[in-house]
Amino acid sequence: MARLDLTLERGPDMASIPPIARTHPGGAVARLDLTLERGPDMAPIPPSLARAPAEPWRGSVRRDTVVASLAAVQAARQEESMAQGLRDKYCIVGVGETEYSRNSGRTTRATAVEAVRKAMRDAGLGAGDVDGMMSYQNNDSTPANWVAGDLGIRLNFYMDVIGGGSSTEALIGLAMGAIEVGMCRTVAIFRAMNGYTEVRIGGTGARSAAPVRGQDLAQVPYGMRSAGQAFAPTFMRHMYDYGTTSAQVAHVKVAHSRHASQNPKALLKERVTVDDVLKSRWIVKPLHLLDCCLETDNATCLIVTSAERARDLRQRPIHIMGVAGRVSKPRTDFHWAAGPVSRVAGYYAKDIVFGQAGITPDDVHVTGSYDAFTFTTMLQLEEYGFCTKGEGGAYVSSGIIELGGKRPNNTAGGHLCEGYTHGMSMVIENVRQLRGTVDDYCPKAADGVHTHDYSPGKCRQVKDAAISMNLGWAMPPTGSALILRK
Amino acid sequence: MPAPVTYRGMSLVIPDNDSEWIEFYAHARAHRLMMRKCSACGLMRYPPTHACPWCQELGWTWQEVSGRGTIHSYEVVMHAIQPGFKEITPYAVVLVDLDEQRGQPTPDEALRVIANLVKPDFTAEADANVAIGKRVRVVFQDLADHLALPQFTLSDEPPEGRVWRLPE
Ligand SMILES: [Zn+2]
Repeated sequence: MARLDLTLERGPDMASIPPIARTHPGGAVARLDLTLERGPDMAPIPPSLARAPAEPWRGSVRRDTVVASLAAVQAARQEESMAQGLRDKYCIVGVGETEYSRNSGRTTRATAVEAVRKAMRDAGLGAGDVDGMMSYQNNDSTPANWVAGDLGIRLNFYMDVIGGGSSTEALIGLAMGAIEVGMCRTVAIFRAMNGYTEVRIGGTGARSAAPVRGQDLAQVPYGMRSAGQAFAPTFMRHMYDYGTTSAQVAHVKVAHSRHASQNPKALLKERVTVDDVLKSRWIVKPLHLLDCCLETDNATCLIVTSAERARDLRQRPIHIMGVAGRVSKPRTDFHWAAGPVSRVAGYYAKDIVFGQAGITPDDVHVTGSYDAFTFTTMLQLEEYGFCTKGEGGAYVSSGIIELGGKRPNNTAGGHLCEGYTHGMSMVIENVRQLRGTVDDYCPKAADGVHTHDYSPGKCRQVKDAAISMNLGWAMPPTGSALILRK
Repeated sequence: MPAPVTYRGMSLVIPDNDSEWIEFYAHARAHRLMMRKCSACGLMRYPPTHACPWCQELGWTWQEVSGRGTIHSYEVVMHAIQPGFKEITPYAVVLVDLDEQRGQPTPDEALRVIANLVKPDFTAEADANVAIGKRVRVVFQDLADHLALPQFTLSDEPPEGRVWRLPE
């Protein structure tokens, strides 16, 4: 909470006592000393106060200004208590996914049905227990109401949104809202795509052949169409601004490949070295082939319900401490204009999500940072405060993000190695980490018995993982975040 | 509506009601780089949008800019996605800070434009010649009667600040 030091006293020039001060024992308002600063034991200053001057401000103000300032502080307090009011009130109770492949050989309707059914079984929910369904897509999937119908689920709420990365966390927040206002009780969120065999996420095929019009004219005619092409100047500018090197960032792929070698589901289980990354062919400088994720056919599902209902279900409930959704830099249509170009959306999201959760980055045991590219993980870990801005390269190459390190990232291998799911799989993995039941090669993994031997083909369960964080990425100027606890 | 223009295998479509781009490209075809300038606060913006992002004013006028600027960041595409670009790969895409309105209205803002870095004959500039800090000027690649693409080419001015390119 922001600290407010108020001096309320009557000055010689004040004619009457303003209404806001009448209840104050000191009487009238003539001078206001207002200090907004963050104390060591306090949560971040809420966004509505973020426009207050960075330096403590002191001075005399007119009494109508005083009234307005007090009203703003009251509104901010209300906003903050509302946001914190949902902390721990909702849970993720079920997760499920289909095989990660590059040849699903079936429709997204088929894979979505399988993923949702698996998540329902995981939670111990029947068709009558799920009454909300949401999905996200880019005209490359099956709508939620068809999937629900296939599974005999009658819906009180459904919605399919246009969106890719960073939608996972945003939809979890929206599902909480839908339940909170009484629209429904339990929401299944899915993402189903044939990202390799149908609409290729990398932008080749149908996507590259689409006519170019409107906003696309600012970039696409110049051969800037795929995600890698659209993001690369951000990565390059970070290297210029902070001296980040290709070798430092390659450690993200190295770490995730080590994690994937403990994941029976992963598409790429082979461990790679920094040298392997640097020697792989260029795609778009500064990205090598191994800096890029894997186009994948897959469907994934998460189920959200209230903490109250979660208590009676099959799994240990995983509580949602905070969520921020599709937080953006200015002018996401052409974010280059606003700058700094090496800044990403986490700059704006971090106070929202940490403010709700009431924790700091130091309290987080395991992260899931969207790794469409090695650089996206580095940029987000840095922007959310796991290290100082500009030191992301040193951070990701320090061993901290590997299993056995202080705060492992993408313990299932992420989009670089496990497979690409537009962010869903990193949340699923963190749910399993917090349950203590990640599906590694430990024989009794499902019972929560793990060796914590992180050599290839063994364990990937983080010891005593209690708090996790997901950092979702759509593009440099848009991201989402989610903090979970067991 | 003018017929779609085919350029490097892409279909560039600018319908008659394209109230963002149609005049921008007509000016570009006349080899003038024009920005929308707010009639209230006087700040220019790109792309050509409909309200001032700083003061929300709807009124604007076209303002010609010099087309000179500095490379703020870049990429070099080594593996083309669009089939029509495969024949010119590798090619550079540059993010250019135009000289006008640098650091306005806040230090991190600028009039920035994306285009290719090309030689004067519009072939791709060599990878080794692309760097942050190098000075560029606009050139116009005529594609049709109603359409020219603004592009950038290296100028003979000395670079600005630190010159940096991705180490080999
Ligand atoms: Zn204006």
